[in-house]
Amino acid sequence: MELFFMTLTTGILVGGIYALVALGWVLIYKCSGVLNLAMGEMTLIGAYISLSFYNMGVPFVLALVISLVIGFILGIVTERIFLDKLIGEPVLTVIMVTVGLSFFFKGTVEFIWGTDTQVFTPAVFSIEPIHIGPMIVGQVYLWSFVAAIVLLLIFVAFFKYTRWGLAMQATADDEMAALSLGVSARFVYAAAWAIAFMAAGVGGTLLGNINGLNISVGYLGLLVLPAVVLGGLNSVPGAIVGGIVIGLLQNFCGAYLDRYFPGGVKEIAPFAFMAIFLLFKPYGLWGWERIERV
Amino acid sequence: MSTTWLPCGEYHQNYKQDHAWFQTKFIKGKMILLALILIFGIPYVSDPYFLSICNQVGYTILGALGVQLLIGFCGQITLGHAAFLAVGAYTSTLLILEFPWPKILLDWGLAYPISIVAAAVVAGIWSVLFGLPSARVKGFYLILTTMAAQFITVDFIITQYVSQVGGRGQAFSLPPGTIKIGPWVIDSDLKVYFLMLFLVITCVVAVVNLLRSRVGRAWVAIRDNDISAEVMGINVFKYKLLAFFVAGAIGGVTGAFWISNLAAISPEHFPWFWSLWLVGVILIGGVGSIHGTIFGSLFMVIIMEALQLAVMPLADIWPKLLMDFLFIKEAMFGLAICAFMIFEPNGIAYRWWQGKNYFNLWPFSY
Repeated sequence: MELFFMTLTTGILVGGIYALVALGWVLIYKCSGVLNLAMGEMTLIGAYISLSFYNMGVPFVLALVISLVIGFILGIVTERIFLDKLIGEPVLTVIMVTVGLSFFFKGTVEFIWGTDTQVFTPAVFSIEPIHIGPMIVGQVYLWSFVAAIVLLLIFVAFFKYTRWGLAMQATADDEMAALSLGVSARFVYAAAWAIAFMAAGVGGTLLGNINGLNISVGYLGLLVLPAVVLGGLNSVPGAIVGGIVIGLLQNFCGAYLDRYFPGGVKEIAPFAFMAIFLLFKPYGLWGWERIERV
Repeated sequence: MSTTWLPCGEYHQNYKQDHAWFQTKFIKGKMILLALILIFGIPYVSDPYFLSICNQVGYTILGALGVQLLIGFCGQITLGHAAFLAVGAYTSTLLILEFPWPKILLDWGLAYPISIVAAAVVAGIWSVLFGLPSARVKGFYLILTTMAAQFITVDFIITQYVSQVGGRGQAFSLPPGTIKIGPWVIDSDLKVYFLMLFLVITCVVAVVNLLRSRVGRAWVAIRDNDISAEVMGINVFKYKLLAFFVAGAIGGVTGAFWISNLAAISPEHFPWFWSLWLVGVILIGGVGSIHGTIFGSLFMVIIMEALQLAVMPLADIWPKLLMDFLFIKEAMFGLAICAFMIFEPNGIAYRWWQGKNYFNLWPFSY
């Protein structure tokens, strides 16, 4: 029973980080219709930037802010250079450009920072575990979760209450109508990429705090895909729920199924689950069903 | 179906001409010349480095052919083709190493050819298994299921279970002499080259022929609009699964062929990167064109080798470059895909077609 609660809390806490990155993904898809496969590499870039600054002696919060700013700039630059020209192209073209981007980012990251695992030194969060009722939680997990939730709330508030956020929502809902009301679609696309880059960077930084940072943290970007499929591609609450469910699923499979199928159950369980889930609910929990006509 | 423009004054008068392999005498002569160069010319330059590049090109063509069939002709986007290459390679290896072959088959050198056929069948069936979701989903969702195929097959089943068969550890190595076709033991680049040539020509001819038939037309119809295809009486699900089977079978042959060159095999030979690489190859070559598959493979392999040669001299000044060449290669591949998608979305095959038409009407383009 103790194992159950341990797994439950870890799953939810890690799921919070996944939810943050999934939010970035859904945002890009909603606003510009781009199915982004470069999310994992975007988390890597943000994480490595904040790690470099932190290890140079910059306080953690400031390092995080710097990585947010750089992520913002990179997001806009990426959108302007690569994706701006692809509006209206077939799905495969756009997807493959993001795949190309993911290779480019990954190669660059590996070239600059190498492939060895790097850790935040000194550790940002103390390794003393915290007791909450019957559960024991590592501080890293707890604070990462808190940070993820705070950022999620900030993003949601941004969409609901600011002028820019409303412009983005309008574009996601009906691009033509938004354009005719004077919303700049180019601005919205750039903003979506900037925010996604920022969210990914924070997610990567938090995950890097848990186990150290190496290329395999970029695997997170692929885990986001089952999460968004589960929630439905164009649903923000769906992304959050999906992220948490994937976190739970991963940890429960790791805890309980590993005995029967030794090896990488934890890594592939989300994908196997997704493949089966798609057979029954192709549009996820809250995704819009696309009606096709000839 | 005909994609060639006929010279002025030549007309097709019946369907047979329309469906002919070689539409004009010039094309026939050109293809015979090409065949002569491939069979006699290239082996004559028996430089091992050159031949190994040729083999790599052939491997890429074979791998990309299945992807081309799925993406370019049936419209089913796949990002997990390396999984089927892996299934083929492992089926063939395990059959050669573990199967109790009767002595007579071994003496006649039939073990490896039979294992190639078996690899094709197993990989095809495995591919159909992951093609089943295509009944319900398409587009992006199908991409996700094919990705799942890659992770489930290579990273889980093969790494964790299949690699443990026989207790050899992660990598299987094939002892010299086991890969034998008839009287020939495949042990040099030249022999691999001929095997590659045979398989590439067989597979390309088979796929082109399929595309000329009802099956191929059904695939193209599904690609262009699956609802219309269904209305026209095509059993969409059946033909999609058939496409998955054929693509998987070609993938299996590819994997089984490649073990003759590697003589050892491990899951690292079939990473997700390779699946994406194959898709990149057909995108750069041109989607929906057999020419495109071949041009794309040539382009990618040659460009990457040229890049390596270009980096070598620089390495004296900056040794990190050579050490991290793999990463540069990855980044360059990514940029190349982006550049092609943005500036040349029709791929090399389109330019080739344009050039041919230009010279068709040259010098008076009227």
